[in-house]
Amino acid sequence: MRHFYLKTRLQIKAALCKQEEIAEYYQALIPLIAKPVADIPLMAFDLEMTGLDSQFDQILSIGLIPITAGVLEVAKAKHLLVKIVGSVGNSATIHGIVDQQLAKAVSAKQAMDWFLTQTKGHVLVAHHAPLDLCFLKVEMIRSYHQSLAFVAIDTMAIERKRLLRKHDVIKEGTLRLDACRQRYNLPVYAGHNASVDALACGELLLAQMASIAGNEKLNLADLLG
Amino acid sequence: MDASELQPITHFLQDRVPFDSLDEAALTRCCQALTIGYYSKASSHVPLDPDNPQLYIVRSGAFEVRDKNGELLDRLGEGDYFGFPSLLSGEEASNRVAILEDGLVYHLPPEIFDFFRQQSREFDRFFNRAFAKRLRNQGRFKAKDLTTTSRITSLMSKSPLSIDMKASVADASKLMRSARVSSVLVIDNNKLVGILTDRDLRNRVLAENLDGSLPVHQAMTTTPVSIEPNALVFEAMLMMSEHNVHHLPVVDNGVATGVVTSTDILRGQSSQPLLLIGEIERQNDLPSLIQVSKQIPLLLQNLISADARAEEIGRVLTSVTDALTRRLIVLNQQVLGKAPMAFCWLAFGSQGRQDQAACSDQDNGLLLAHEPDDSAKGYFEALSKAVCKGLDECGYIYCPGDIMAQNPKWRMSLEQWKLVFDKWVNTPEPKALMHASIFFDMRSIYGPQSLFDGLQDTVLSSTKGNDIFLAGLTGNSLTSAPPLGFFRKFVLERDGSEVKGIDLKHKGSALINDIARVYALSAGIKEVNTAKRIRALMEQNIINRKDALNLADAHEFIAHMRLSNQEYQHTHSLPITNYLLPHNVSSLIRHQLRDAFKVVHDGQVGLKLKMMRSY
Repeated sequence: MRHFYLKTRLQIKAALCKQEEIAEYYQALIPLIAKPVADIPLMAFDLEMTGLDSQFDQILSIGLIPITAGVLEVAKAKHLLVKIVGSVGNSATIHGIVDQQLAKAVSAKQAMDWFLTQTKGHVLVAHHAPLDLCFLKVEMIRSYHQSLAFVAIDTMAIERKRLLRKHDVIKEGTLRLDACRQRYNLPVYAGHNASVDALACGELLLAQMASIAGNEKLNLADLLG
Repeated sequence: MDASELQPITHFLQDRVPFDSLDEAALTRCCQALTIGYYSKASSHVPLDPDNPQLYIVRSGAFEVRDKNGELLDRLGEGDYFGFPSLLSGEEASNRVAILEDGLVYHLPPEIFDFFRQQSREFDRFFNRAFAKRLRNQGRFKAKDLTTTSRITSLMSKSPLSIDMKASVADASKLMRSARVSSVLVIDNNKLVGILTDRDLRNRVLAENLDGSLPVHQAMTTTPVSIEPNALVFEAMLMMSEHNVHHLPVVDNGVATGVVTSTDILRGQSSQPLLLIGEIERQNDLPSLIQVSKQIPLLLQNLISADARAEEIGRVLTSVTDALTRRLIVLNQQVLGKAPMAFCWLAFGSQGRQDQAACSDQDNGLLLAHEPDDSAKGYFEALSKAVCKGLDECGYIYCPGDIMAQNPKWRMSLEQWKLVFDKWVNTPEPKALMHASIFFDMRSIYGPQSLFDGLQDTVLSSTKGNDIFLAGLTGNSLTSAPPLGFFRKFVLERDGSEVKGIDLKHKGSALINDIARVYALSAGIKEVNTAKRIRALMEQNIINRKDALNLADAHEFIAHMRLSNQEYQHTHSLPITNYLLPHNVSSLIRHQLRDAFKVVHDGQVGLKLKMMRSY
């Protein structure tokens, strides 16, 4: 039933949408909704931002890696630097992006065009997806004057649900990407950038799906929670 | 494409053999071509798609490769590979890969794999070798490539030349000439009765002015020293040097199946343990023996690094100790004169079981043919004190429990020893049972075998089927249990407590020794070496085949871990102990150790059921 509701919602949005790019984006998603997750093209992504406030902070870079038929395709991984207004300031120490490298960056509008093209026909995957989606939506309004209802699997929400189901107490830090990965025997990755974190998040989703279902088929609704 | 951003993958691969042989551009290309999958225990096996063979690179987790009959071929952890046999052979994968621990796996497509094989000889050679190794592993208990630890069967001439005892020496000589060998086995009614060698023909025929019509049985060496096909090559060498012969008939259950000659053995290479024993036998005083024995720790390191089996290392090291002890006895007898009566030098504990390792202490005793008078007592006191002191100075420290021949308590006549054992067996007090673990693993290393047999046969006939004694011994051996496994950085005990390290000796090897000992005593088996005991128990159907093989594997694995841990301690200049710390152990080894502990636990449960029913 849940996928039926989601499908209808996307159909209505597509019908009401005045911009062709966005309507097409919805149309590409609609046929995927009812399929088993293994057959849906997924796109793990991660954004690096100058801070956590979507109203004031800006997107610095975007990392993407597609998941097809249950495997991550490294060959199709992509990374894009985004031009910002002003300097990267202090957060450069976190992301390792320096002003100089930003020279080859594209504008925010170009970045959103690129993002829509790359992720069209894919269900998104992110760790703590609401935060990243918030930045994307703000940027959509700036560039397209219209928001977009992205469909995204949140590996953090899946993990919270799994831990609560096991009656584990969720302490601070247990839902962080690295902490989640350790529970699935996934390697620790030093150094963070949008690409590595997108890869890390994609691997986590594979691990979660394998542990939840084994050889059984999972539906998208099971993961959207 | 921006795979250079995906440093975790590049960093992982660039440190792995054979990917480290690729240049940067090739490595980048490789990383870009990968796909990544995750396999969970929930799906039990990795689905290998026959239409899409790939090289699988284990990034995390643990996997197990078994052939279609379920035989274990390999266990894989981080950085190991699977899937390459079908890439190399082009045949459909017949092996199954079970998932032991959830993990991440990189997949490399076949076209890239083939490209790298053409690009890099090292890459190609690596996987061809790995493939060959995987094939060799299709069969268990393979001896390692070391002369001293390989078996006689690998060297001996398989269809030995033989002749009837009534044939003439001339016929025998012609036979030897046409076969171009230096010896012939002499047979009477299909039974081996002697061996005729070049030396016999020279000494007993030519030098005696006899002619070629002499019957073979008058020139041959009768009842020659023989060896069993399972013996180590090293043991054959020892036997040859002790009896000063160059030919050993190989006898399997009374039937001569081959001959091994010193030339066969020399065809291998000169081997260190033997050289060491040879040197021990050439020394004429204590200071030079002490000097020679300084090489023993080095020998142990070499054996470990040659990856010899732990059981074989134990046997080799014990042979060195035996040789040293015998040499000390001989040297001291040169000073003290001939012994007033026959005696046996007994080895107990680890030397008895032939599983000595680094820093062993002495456990020995003296068995005298009959009750000594005062002068004989004086002689044996002087002899045993000198030998024990010599051993101590050669690095085998005095036994902390004073179980040594120099202690008058453990220097007794056959009758006295029988009484002592009888007391232990029939009134099994706690202290007696503690002694049992040391004294019941006894072996004679010097002296007439018949004297020793007199003691051992009596002891075994009193323990065989003796329910009360066996129940007591079992109860005593169950006071210690193996750990359950690991939890994070700790060792998890069966009661749920967490400790810092595992005592691989007392919580592992010793428990298996105990199990094997109780069963062996219950059945009157003469072997004392744990692996041999288990084999004998299996052959007599006292333990079923599967349990016996599991127990033998677990024993070997734990002993191997103990030795490699000690090598680690040695190379890092740490004190040598039996303690293994979990943080030094990979997830794969953790898994295997957990398996081994499970086997020990099952063995204890089985023993309890069998031996303590009456409780």
